[in-house]
Amino acid sequence: MPDLRLWLKVPPRRDVARRLLPAAAVVLFALVPAVPFFTDPWLRVFFLVGLYVVLGLGLNIVVGFAGLLDLGYVAFFAAGAYLMGILTSPQSPVDLRLEFWVILPLALLLGALVGLLLGLPVLPLRGDYLAIVTLGFGEIIRILLVNLRDITGGSQGLAAIEKPPVPGWQRIDEPWQWYYVILVTAVAVAFLSARLRDARIGRAWEAIREDEDVAAAMGIDTVKYKLLAFATGAAVGSVGGVLFASYIGFINPTSFTLQVSINVLAVVIIGGMGNTWGVVFGAFILIGVPELLQFRETSDVLERLGWLRTALDAPFAALDALAPFGVWRVPEPETWGRLVADKRFIIYGALLVAVMVARPGGLFPSRRRKLEFEAPPPSEVAEPSALAAGGSQ
Amino acid sequence: MALLEVEGLVAGYGAITAVKGISLHLDEGEIVTLIGSNGAGKTTTLRAISGLIRPRQGDIRFAGRSLVGLKPHEVVAVGVAHVPEGRGIFGTLTVKENLLLGAHRRRDAGILEDLERVFALFPRLRERLGQVAGTLSGGEQQMLAIGRALMAKPRVLLLDEPSMGLAPFLVDAIFQTIVEIRAAGTPILLVEQNAAAALEIADRGYVLESGTIVLSGTGAELARNDGVRRAYLGEL
Repeated sequence: MPDLRLWLKVPPRRDVARRLLPAAAVVLFALVPAVPFFTDPWLRVFFLVGLYVVLGLGLNIVVGFAGLLDLGYVAFFAAGAYLMGILTSPQSPVDLRLEFWVILPLALLLGALVGLLLGLPVLPLRGDYLAIVTLGFGEIIRILLVNLRDITGGSQGLAAIEKPPVPGWQRIDEPWQWYYVILVTAVAVAFLSARLRDARIGRAWEAIREDEDVAAAMGIDTVKYKLLAFATGAAVGSVGGVLFASYIGFINPTSFTLQVSINVLAVVIIGGMGNTWGVVFGAFILIGVPELLQFRETSDVLERLGWLRTALDAPFAALDALAPFGVWRVPEPETWGRLVADKRFIIYGALLVAVMVARPGGLFPSRRRKLEFEAPPPSEVAEPSALAAGGSQ
Repeated sequence: MALLEVEGLVAGYGAITAVKGISLHLDEGEIVTLIGSNGAGKTTTLRAISGLIRPRQGDIRFAGRSLVGLKPHEVVAVGVAHVPEGRGIFGTLTVKENLLLGAHRRRDAGILEDLERVFALFPRLRERLGQVAGTLSGGEQQMLAIGRALMAKPRVLLLDEPSMGLAPFLVDAIFQTIVEIRAAGTPILLVEQNAAAALEIADRGYVLESGTIVLSGTGAELARNDGVRRAYLGEL
């Protein structure tokens, strides 16, 4: 009798260290607000990083797991944010008086629905064509938000969006409280995505990503699984939107541009597609660092390390010389951090190119991605012992 | 009544009609081979049977039921498994994960027994269970592709060019396994360019040329046929 457990427990559970590491990290993250050094501005930055971790993990399901390049992910983020806005802002015509905790599951459903809405028409498309259509979809949603003035407030947007109430206590408003909200959400999404990856559904996605025709010939309903990927990723994005709207309290269409989709994709790619830690790291580097560079503390440190600033200024100074009309003007010392933040897209681009050249699988590629880029092509002819050994045993 | 019947099949891609009205059948307990040169329409025929392309005309019946219009996963569900040309191994998944994908539609406990059956055919796969499939040798990948298809517990197996890219002694071993699979009760429709090897194990065969069946008969008859010998067996 073969070992039943071996086959029925699908996720190949690894050593204890692989389980302890995430637990330890979560405990560490949970202690952050208790450290006096991390003042409110820090916690706000960490919230943003956490939000991008959530979005990154959501997009990773679509792009990393199922291999469907979605450039319109912002649409789902916007769907959740506007659901929250429309249902709670006093400026919207809808007056349902729903609370955050009711809207959250609604956002999951709405996200999944919008995901299906996008998924259905693009099912036959692959690769580049899929990317272009999803990009258009993201723009359509944003333009709708601008033009459906009566409901969305047009380009003015919606203000005074409600904060989540905690029964028997106050509404969540303080940065440290939001920090925990996003931490819990990110951990939940990370857990969910790891389970999905190791389950039947994860293998089906992987098969579709590798070869859709063969996956179909294996008995995988490719239509169903592609739609599931879109819906799951979209639901996560939508939840992120609800959190964002409630946290910021004010939304308008400028928060939901193509740039958001690109940022999230960059977070996923830089970190290492398919890898949770990669997404965390990518979000910190691409979202956290530019924000932190604006801090007075950071500028102070940079001031003291004059040589570092000069070194970092050098490329901008060089560009200055090339562009005498002053586009690249090296800034005064006190605004240096701001410049880095403003120019983060240049840094994004440079970083993306550098990472893709040096580590095509991302900084922390998942096991499978790593293989894809590093495994030697299988030899067409087996070594002489291959079948002979198999036959004699 | 034949288990698998193809009648007047016309199929192709875009403006190209690769298969121009062929009819063939496969009975229980048979190995039937479809031989022919590159571009004769062999692979297209298999793709039409397994639902990867839609026939333009004609009918494909499995156990009396038409497969035309079924999606690929539905064809697998009724009992037709397809080992595609070039094996189609999922290179980033482990051997075990590949095998489990073959049983994707199943939830019965018989999966374990079938795994044992696959290991009995290919002991090598048991040794390589946790290994990533992309790092297997060509012969091992072919074993995995066949093993994976068997995991669907098919009533008919469609094999597309299992000998492709393999050393001659590996071809012999693979073909030996095909005979064993038939003996275990699964009939096989075998598409091959290696006509000599295919005709040796086939009960019957069809010769396909430019999308039309030009000749059919038992394996031995075809192997004796002058035209076949000249065109496909390399004899003058």
